[in-house]
Amino acid sequence: MDFLDRYRDIVPDFKAFRAIQSRPLFSSARINTLKIEREVLLERLTEEAVPYRRFDWYPLGLKIDVESPGKLVENLLGHIHIQEELSMVPPLVLGPMPGELILDLCASPGSKTTQISAMMENRGLVIANEPSLARVAALRSNCERLGAMNVAITRYDGRNFPRGSFDRVLVDAPCSAEGRERRGPGVIERSNCKRSLDLSVLQVGLLKNAIRLTKPGGVVVYSTCTYAPEENEMVVSAALNEITKSNESDEAEEPTKAHLESVVIPGLQECPGISLWNGRDLGREMSLSARYYPHMNDTGGFFVAKIIKS
Amino acid sequence: MSQRSSRVRNVFLPLELTAVAELWGSRFGIPVEAFSGYRFFKKANSIWAISDVELPRLSYEAIGMRIMNCKDRPWKPTTAALQVFGKYAARNLVHLDADCARVFLEGKSQEVDEAAAMECEPGYVVVFYRGEVLGCGLYSHGLLVSQIPKERRLASREE
Repeated sequence: MDFLDRYRDIVPDFKAFRAIQSRPLFSSARINTLKIEREVLLERLTEEAVPYRRFDWYPLGLKIDVESPGKLVENLLGHIHIQEELSMVPPLVLGPMPGELILDLCASPGSKTTQISAMMENRGLVIANEPSLARVAALRSNCERLGAMNVAITRYDGRNFPRGSFDRVLVDAPCSAEGRERRGPGVIERSNCKRSLDLSVLQVGLLKNAIRLTKPGGVVVYSTCTYAPEENEMVVSAALNEITKSNESDEAEEPTKAHLESVVIPGLQECPGISLWNGRDLGREMSLSARYYPHMNDTGGFFVAKIIKS
Repeated sequence: MSQRSSRVRNVFLPLELTAVAELWGSRFGIPVEAFSGYRFFKKANSIWAISDVELPRLSYEAIGMRIMNCKDRPWKPTTAALQVFGKYAARNLVHLDADCARVFLEGKSQEVDEAAAMECEPGYVVVFYRGEVLGCGLYSHGLLVSQIPKERRLASREE
């Protein structure tokens, strides 16, 4: 796993970071409040002798210690949804409210879409966008199983999603998924910088369009499950810079402005986003984004940035 | 030509709430109020329901939940839809005990006694376990055939 060496200078306690990669991660699940109350669900799990432990930081999150959690009757009936622990963070940072208009630009398989729908108590509308027809099947199936009634699915290329004035937009971007090593060993072995740079072109395009589609005062959350700064801070920095530049060249339109707001989830330990990478200054503002490392919370890895369009 | 016709079939057409509520009311005795708060659309042979909100002008792949299939007669409710609307049903219900509920969730057929299938007419029924909807069954002459979709079935204990 020499590839991880490139993160030696940015990850605190790098030795522990490297050591934990080979330790598998428990499955985790989110309680689906669209279909069942938390207390009732917990009673059922106890009745059926399913071993679980609650997250310290999120009342709806559970670690579940069974071999095939997807086959639990609670999952088949849509009372829980098998979802990575840190994957529950971006919707919380997004903060959707009942009645709002939300866009989930890269939605499949819909873990975050349905979490957003539950946070909205099925009121308002979530547009779940997913270009791939094959992946739409999983997205639809999860929305229906979980009883998400306020979700409509579109199939645009996220970079060209045509129009809208959304209260909040989530860009949970396609990424190199290095943070998933503990769930699917071999991800890091296959990682390379070229792939991250290729992905970053797509990611910048997605984020720029997301900011365009957000109404003034609205929120954009950009997240990935990877460590590569090329796919994280560099993407956020590039998207914000390009928006400022296009303001200068296009005087007729009202200038678009956007800034970062800090990401803090009480009970989860995050590291600030990095402002400097390979000699490139990404702007001090990037430290407001959050990096989650596996050895700090016994999770996978994630990156989350919260952008406010002014 | 085939491309053109498929495009035509892919249009979601708005549907009156009363048209949908009438069908569910006559089969399951579900009151019309259970459907207020939703909008309905028809696409090809399926009817879809979504929370009652204005939809932005976009090209949609899916609008909310597919709640019924009208391809064959009688129309068939989806298991997902019964898990939302089935709790308001007043007739054509089957209440199962723990063992029978398990068989049903495994996707198997089973004989049910008269007490469980209280005066069910032959056809699709709402299947309950401990007061909660499990999904859609097909009932006829004492036999209950599970309509739980394959990907949502419990693994069989014997296998």
